[in-house]
Amino acid sequence: MTDAVKPGLLGALAPAAEASPLSATRPVRRLLIAALVLLVALPPLFTYALGEPYLIALVSRMVILGLAAVSLDLVLGYGGLISFGHAAFFGVGGYAVAILAFHARHGDKFIGLIPSSSDMLVTLPAAVIAAALAAALIGALSLRTSGFPFVMITLALSQMVYFIFVSLKIYGGDDGMSMHGRNTLAGFSFADATTYYYLCLVLFLLFLFVCRRIVASRFGLVLRGCKDNERRVRSLGYPTYGYRLVAFTIAGAGAGLAGGLLANLDRFASPDMLHWQNSGNLMVMVILGGIGSLFGPALGAVLVISLETVLSRWTDHWMFYLGPILIAFVLFARRGLWGVIVDVADRNV
Amino acid sequence: MSPIETSEPLLRVDGLTKRFGGITASDSISLDVGVGEIHAVIGPNGAGKTTLIGLLCGELRPAAGHVYFAGREITALSVSRRARLGLVRSFQIPSILPNLTVAENVALAVQTTLGRGYHFWADAGRNEALLQPARAAIAELALDGRRNVVAAALSHGEQRQLELAMVLATKPRLLLLDEPLAGMGAKESAFVAALLGRLKGRISMLLVEHDMEAVFALADRITVMVYGRVIAVGDAASIRANPEVQHAYLGEEQA
Repeated sequence: MTDAVKPGLLGALAPAAEASPLSATRPVRRLLIAALVLLVALPPLFTYALGEPYLIALVSRMVILGLAAVSLDLVLGYGGLISFGHAAFFGVGGYAVAILAFHARHGDKFIGLIPSSSDMLVTLPAAVIAAALAAALIGALSLRTSGFPFVMITLALSQMVYFIFVSLKIYGGDDGMSMHGRNTLAGFSFADATTYYYLCLVLFLLFLFVCRRIVASRFGLVLRGCKDNERRVRSLGYPTYGYRLVAFTIAGAGAGLAGGLLANLDRFASPDMLHWQNSGNLMVMVILGGIGSLFGPALGAVLVISLETVLSRWTDHWMFYLGPILIAFVLFARRGLWGVIVDVADRNV
Repeated sequence: MSPIETSEPLLRVDGLTKRFGGITASDSISLDVGVGEIHAVIGPNGAGKTTLIGLLCGELRPAAGHVYFAGREITALSVSRRARLGLVRSFQIPSILPNLTVAENVALAVQTTLGRGYHFWADAGRNEALLQPARAAIAELALDGRRNVVAAALSHGEQRQLELAMVLATKPRLLLLDEPLAGMGAKESAFVAALLGRLKGRISMLLVEHDMEAVFALADRITVMVYGRVIAVGDAASIRANPEVQHAYLGEEQA
C-alpha cells in the first residue's frame, strides 16, 4: 500500500492547499452543475420535447427518495450506524401530512387538540417534527446498543411503529389513507405536477446543502470519528451517545420531510411507507449510490427507481435482477456508483 | 522531589478493588500522582496494570475504593467526563481513527479544548482555532510530513506518535500512558522517551511501561504491582534495591 495521501476534510492543513472532497475537484464540480441543470430542465424536456409529461411524477419520486437516502447516509455513511428502521420516520412524515389533511377536511382537530391544516407551511414542519420525535425516541433506546443488536432493535422498533399505523382503523389501517388533493402552500396550489416537482427539487437541494455543512462541521468530525473508533472518541472527552442521537434525529427529520413530500405527491399514505422493506430499499440506494458521499445516495435513488421502472415493465420479479447488481457493486465498486463516476471524472481531466 | 510531597496530589487512589470472576485484578490499590510528577507502575504480566488504567479512566467500575482527581471524587464519572477534566489515556495498542487523516485525528482532539456544544454549520477545515493547535501538536510529534495521510497507512510507531499527539492536543492535566514505548523501534522509542522527558513537569503522568531503562530514567516514583497488589513504592534507587521487588518481579521476569 502506498501512502494513501488523501486530502481529507481538513485539506487546509496541507502545506500546499489541496482540494478536500467536500470542495470537489473541478471535473466533479462541473458534473454536479450539469446534473443540476438537467434536474431543472427535466419537466420542460418531458413535456415539450418527449411529449411524456407523466415522467415528471417519476422524477419527483426520485428526488424525494433521494432526499430520504441522503438522510440515511448521514447515519449510515457518516455515523457508521446501521439503522434498519429509517422507513419508520419516512412513514411518520407521510402520515403526519395525510392525517392533518384528513382532519382539515372533516373540520376537526387531531386528537381533539392539534389544529388540522392542509397548508404545507404547517404540514411539512409537522412531518419533520413528528419524524424527529420518533427518531429521538427510537434512537435514545437503540443507541444504547451497537453493532448487530443495534440493527435488530432499530428494525424491531420501526416495525412496532408500522403495526401501530396498521391498527389505526380511523386512518385507513392496512389500506392506508388517501388525500383529496395536494397541500397548498400559503394558498398556492400544487395540483400541477411540474410546480410540485420544483418544490421537491428545492427542498432536496436545501437538505443536501444542510447535510454537507453538517458533515464538514465540528459536529461532523466527531460523528465520523465515532464511526471509526468510538472508544477513542469517548476517551478524548466526547459523550458520543449524545452526538449519535442528534445525528440520528436529524436524519429522521430528513426522512420525515421526504415522507411528507411523497404523501403529497401520491396524495396517499400507507403502512407500506413504514415497512422494513422500505428501510432495506433506502439502504440499497445508499450502498449502490456510494455510502458516505451524500451525492451518491441521491444518485442511488435515481438508479434504483430507474431499474425498478424498467425491469418491472418486463418482469414482476425485478428484485431478482436487482440482487446481482447490488452484489456486483458491493464486490467491485465499494464506493458505489458515485465513487466510479468521481474516479472516471478525475482521470479524464 | 519536595514540591510533589508538599502539595495536594493531582490524583489519589484509595483502596481500589476490581474482580473478574474469581480473579482479583486490583486488590485494594492505593497510590497518588503529584502535580508534575511522573509516577511509573511496573510489574510482571498479569499484575493488573492495564486494569488499573481502565479503572482510572472510567472504562471499568471498581467493586470498592475511590478515585480523587484535582480535589474531587471522580469514582462514578464517565470516561468522557473524566477526559474533559483532564484525565486522558493512551492505549497499549495505539487507538486512532484509521480512516481519518492525521490532521483530522488531531483536530478532533483539539476540538475538546474549544468548549462544549454542538457546532453544525461552520467548516471545521477552515477553523484556525482548530488548525493552529493541531499543526503544533503534529509538529511536536514529528509527523509534519504525514499530515494528510490516512492514519491507517502510518507505521505502528507513527500511529503511537499520532495517538500521543492527539492526547497532548486535549491539553491533559494527567496522562495515563499504557506502555507508550511498546512495539516501537529503538529510534522511535528513544524519540518518545525524550518527548516524555521534555513534558515532565508540565504534564503529570501515570506511566505503565515494561522498558525498565526508560522507567528508571523518567519516573519520579515507581509503584510495583504483583497479582493485583502494590508491593512497593519508592524512587528508582529504592525500588532497584528492594529485595522483595527483585524476587517477585525482576526474578520472575528473568526466570
